[in-house]
Amino acid sequence: MSSEIFVNIFEDGLFAAIAAIGFSSISNTPRRAYAVCAVIAAVGHAVRYVLMAPDIAGMHIVMASTAAAMAVGVLGVLLAPLIKCPAEVCLFPALLPMIPGMYAYRTVQALISCMLHTGEAAFDRYLSLFAQNGLTCTFIMLGMVLGANIPVFALKKISFQATR
Amino acid sequence: MKMQNSSTISEKCAFLADYASWLWGCGATCARITKNTARIARALGIDCELTVMPSHVELSLAGADGADAAVYTRRTGHSGISFDINARLSRLSWEIADGLVDFPEAVRRFDEIKRTRPTGQWEVLLLVGPANAAFCRLFGGDWAAMLTVLVATLAGYPLKQTMIADGRDLRLTFLCAAFFSAAISAGAWIFGWGDTPDIALATSVLYLIPGVPYINAVSDLMAKHYLCAFSRFMDACVLTACLSAGLCAGMFILGLEKF
Repeated sequence: MSSEIFVNIFEDGLFAAIAAIGFSSISNTPRRAYAVCAVIAAVGHAVRYVLMAPDIAGMHIVMASTAAAMAVGVLGVLLAPLIKCPAEVCLFPALLPMIPGMYAYRTVQALISCMLHTGEAAFDRYLSLFAQNGLTCTFIMLGMVLGANIPVFALKKISFQATR
Repeated sequence: MKMQNSSTISEKCAFLADYASWLWGCGATCARITKNTARIARALGIDCELTVMPSHVELSLAGADGADAAVYTRRTGHSGISFDINARLSRLSWEIADGLVDFPEAVRRFDEIKRTRPTGQWEVLLLVGPANAAFCRLFGGDWAAMLTVLVATLAGYPLKQTMIADGRDLRLTFLCAAFFSAAISAGAWIFGWGDTPDIALATSVLYLIPGVPYINAVSDLMAKHYLCAFSRFMDACVLTACLSAGLCAGMFILGLEKF
């Protein structure tokens, strides 16, 4: 059981790292930052996985995402001086694998279903799904970006001197 | 002598305004733009104020000791989001502040940074495909879904690159690329590939999510640059709406009974 959890955490981190490298290349990130982005993304996603796992912490996805994003933010600020890049360069791509894509998709799907179904029962069901997914998606995004940006401003001396 | 001084000050102010506009253009946060520009201004001995607006930056030079007051306005947005340019411009600001480069050398380096080449198209394509497939896995997609997403991304991303290179409207570009990727990944539904075709469909367009503007918007909000925060947030929302429309159009045209 415990070895299975470690495998899952490793797998989660590995795929988050691959995703972070790809998304950082879209934003023209310097090549020297790829490895750091990958490590931070892996740690961030693994932290969220652990916090959300029912057997371990069992936290809600919003709280877990905020805490994981804060870990990503702290790591980004601390590791940025090593590669002489602004903190954002490291932590923004590392944050992208945590974007709640499925919630966003289900929100759009439920919204369109609301428009297409005129029956009251079906409309209410899809409206409820729309609100549920939309709120979760919004609060995850908000928690993530706030959590990642707080360390940048809290550790100003490090984050704005990384390229010195 | 006075004429020469005033010309030098004007050159320095023009440099500062250009510098700030390029930082905005490459996707730096407002906090970084104001800090970096103020750092260079201090090193160059310029007493000025920088106003960062959503579509332009304005550098106001206070008139003192007989010098003329002046305002230097530059439009923002030159390079598209580039963390490479952001990092190099930030390093330049410290090199000037620490006295490692003089003003003519700083201008030369700035011109060099402006010519920074973006990451190669093939390199990005080869990295984005597996990245989006990995993203699909993170959402619980199986191997068939990952493969579908890989193919949909490898087909949709070049369309985005080509349309941007042709100077097409960014919103239209996002809509078309999302439509194309969604239409391809809808194959997983139609032909029954794997057990998670819905995850394949949902994640096939996620390489288009404008994550950096969303994050920058909150950073600007925290730094009290409300106008820029709102502008970046709305830009990101419009692009997200376009990719959602492309996704829905792709599903409708292939007759998926998902609604």
